[in-house]
Amino acid sequence: MTDPRRALGWAALSVGLILYPFLDRWLGLQTVHAVSDGMIYVLLALGLNIVVGYAGLLDLGYAAFFAIGAYSMGLLNSPVLHSPLYGYPWSFWVCIWFAAAVSALLGVVIGAPTLRVRGDYLAIITLGFGEIIPVAIRNLGDVTIDIAGWRPIERLNLTGGENGVNPIGRPYLPGVPFETDPVPWYFLILVIGLASLWAMNRLRDSRLGRAWMAIREDETAADCTGVNPISTKLLAFALGASFAGFAGSVYAAKLQAITPGAFEFQVSIMLLCMVVLGGAGSLKGVILGGMLITLFDRVLLTQMTTMVRWVGRTADIPALAAADLTLWRWFFFGLGLVLVMLLRPEGLAGRRARPLAEEPDEPTVPTPAAAPRAEAIPGWLRDGARPRGAAPAGSPLLEVRGITRRFGGVVALNEVDLVVPRAAVIGLIGPNGAGKTTFFNVVTGLVAPDNGRIVFEGQDLAGLRPNAIVARGIARTFQSIRLFPQMTVLDNVLVGEHCRLDATVPGAVFRPPSVIVEERRARTRARELLAFVGLGGKEDDTARNLPYGDQRRLEIARALATEPRLLLLDEPTAGMNPRETETLTELIGLLRRELSVSVLLIEHDMAVVMGISDRITVLDYGTRIAEGNPAEIQRDRRVIEAYLGAGYEQDLATR
Amino acid sequence: MLELVDVHTFYGNIRALRGISIGVESGEIVTLVGANGAGKTTTLRTILGTVRPRRGSVSFGGQRLDGLTTDRIVRLGIAQSPEGRRIFPRMTVLENLELGAFARQDHQGIASDLDRVFTLFPRLRERGGQKGGTLSGGEQQMLAIGRALMARPTLLLLDEPSMGLSPILVDTIFKIIQDINRQGTTILLVEQNARMALRVAHRGYVMQTGRIVLHDTASDLLRSDLVRKTYLGEK
Repeated sequence: MTDPRRALGWAALSVGLILYPFLDRWLGLQTVHAVSDGMIYVLLALGLNIVVGYAGLLDLGYAAFFAIGAYSMGLLNSPVLHSPLYGYPWSFWVCIWFAAAVSALLGVVIGAPTLRVRGDYLAIITLGFGEIIPVAIRNLGDVTIDIAGWRPIERLNLTGGENGVNPIGRPYLPGVPFETDPVPWYFLILVIGLASLWAMNRLRDSRLGRAWMAIREDETAADCTGVNPISTKLLAFALGASFAGFAGSVYAAKLQAITPGAFEFQVSIMLLCMVVLGGAGSLKGVILGGMLITLFDRVLLTQMTTMVRWVGRTADIPALAAADLTLWRWFFFGLGLVLVMLLRPEGLAGRRARPLAEEPDEPTVPTPAAAPRAEAIPGWLRDGARPRGAAPAGSPLLEVRGITRRFGGVVALNEVDLVVPRAAVIGLIGPNGAGKTTFFNVVTGLVAPDNGRIVFEGQDLAGLRPNAIVARGIARTFQSIRLFPQMTVLDNVLVGEHCRLDATVPGAVFRPPSVIVEERRARTRARELLAFVGLGGKEDDTARNLPYGDQRRLEIARALATEPRLLLLDEPTAGMNPRETETLTELIGLLRRELSVSVLLIEHDMAVVMGISDRITVLDYGTRIAEGNPAEIQRDRRVIEAYLGAGYEQDLATR
Repeated sequence: MLELVDVHTFYGNIRALRGISIGVESGEIVTLVGANGAGKTTTLRTILGTVRPRRGSVSFGGQRLDGLTTDRIVRLGIAQSPEGRRIFPRMTVLENLELGAFARQDHQGIASDLDRVFTLFPRLRERGGQKGGTLSGGEQQMLAIGRALMARPTLLLLDEPSMGLSPILVDTIFKIIQDINRQGTTILLVEQNARMALRVAHRGYVMQTGRIVLHDTASDLLRSDLVRKTYLGEK
């Protein structure tokens, strides 16, 4: 708000929003109803945006939650339904919260079993749910339960069936004419909409918002960075549904009548169109998309019809004189959507890939990041790396015993033992396909072992999810780098801190001092960590725009942000030049020396492995074929045959 | 055989290639050496037409390539093993390899080439029925090279073929590269492992930030100060 022009723009917008209904009345436009309805749809689209835009879950049945909100209002507030709840003094102001809560609850009920499936399958399930709700509503207008003549429930009208619900109680505020005037509705919906927008804005910029976007970008990587994908997605579903509940209850009270037809599949699709047209993930875009589509539908199409008919009458073209463009609405929606997707696939106001700054013209010899220095290690990282819990003294950090894992007929790991002491670097080498990465996947919880035990700091890790294992203190990087590519460098590291932060939904929205302090500290830490690995000054770059070596370093920074005591690095120097490799080797040494972090290292660069490993384990066809210190491993005949090759012996001799 | 003249390629407003000229003669192994971000992969992409040069020309056997679609370029006899593998993860190893020969009609030739790939990479024969995505990183690398060979290209573009391979396989892969070359395939090789690349190559180009800063025979490059300090890691 420091920019005076921006402040002025906001002031003008506020004045415009306040003056609009009076201006409309003065000019006799009579658009307030349509605009208010538009705002309800915008609120719906904003709720859907949490699910689709932030968390990246395609929901094709979102109108179901809209229906649940509307019928919750009807059930409490309409005399025509035989609701056992009707008749109590339920005020509209209580009912909207009730409707939101019911929608959120159903969001969880629907979400819990379905969110384990991914992508297309989830979309199909939401599609089914979106179909079931209107059908259920149609058929719950006349319920009779007959158990051999005994009828505990007879001709109970729960939903009004095909005829719908009419009337529904209106809100009551002393002196405000909700019955006769559209203007109070306009302001009521505006206030609800702005409050929702405010909450969503804060959610997006919180620990939770980052977790949603991380899940959208790469669910597995998010899981291995300490974000629980199940609860995070469920929360997106529930919160998205609760906004639909608000919108539905207000819609029902405003319209005074609801029918199942208002919540059909087309409504879900139209809401999705609003999100996509405006730009998924962008609040401004979704508002724009929602307003454009509703106003086009409600105002522009009828105006255009009048115009076309007038042209038809004056030019004496009977086809035009009898035209009804409102019948063509889906054609126009479709056309508009196709055009936007072709010309601006990120949506009208979506975030465009940020153009990169032009590089200097003169070729420069690439300067690798400065060698990491012990002084640059952030103090908090030193504290975090101290052993926690009551691990028995002298026990190893990680103890893996007899791990076996089969994939179909292939035995990827066969009775593998491996011990990582505290503050040690352990090399894990072996031919391609020997099972090294599978071993990492088992330790980090991505793959469950068929047999064997994994004990970390004296505790069995059996059955823990990857994110829980990260919280215990094991972090990893991936062979093929898995960052959150569309997020900033800083946000990537902040996701790493996720499991060390506490902000909840109310905390993220209302920001009590504790959350403000926590968030500020998290950002400071992320910056310190980036400076430490040599990425200072690149905090606001988009991760995927970083050069390869920087991406590797960022992945390590993200892993360090989880405050691990064991770091699993999967081919960290692959694709690095000798200088970058050297810097990385120094970094690993520093982590071990200064922070007592243990490192388990998969690496094919033998200069690195032999140089920094205390001990090395060699796998071949899933079986451990050797274990020893580097000198022993280099002399081992089986290792030379299976892995190092005769050329390595020659190289070693000539070096 | 392959000639790039003053090629400029942009990503948005980033100048990835700033006027490079490269020639590859029939029967050669030519290597591009340079740091990450120097433009090596972009050069390969420009040749294959997956990005378009804004200026300059790319020609192959006298025919202009810039302007042709990638599938046309592949049909002219150029194949690539891309960086980061890019195999088809939900198809089997065998299907991946067969797709490499998609543009070919000679069934006998395809069968014998499949045999040749399996001889070069026995691991792929063992895993023939397995889905590509379930292979380990190094095995996927072998599959990507094998798939490129299945097109029986006259010019093979290899992008970081040794990445993620065990030392013994790195040796093997460079022997295979020389074998393929002796059997008549011209090779343009991009490699982070500059030492090995220059050992098998005939000639090499050194790239820095989108330009060619040095080109010479491979053996002279191995001896040059710039290469030894910057790309071989010698002090």
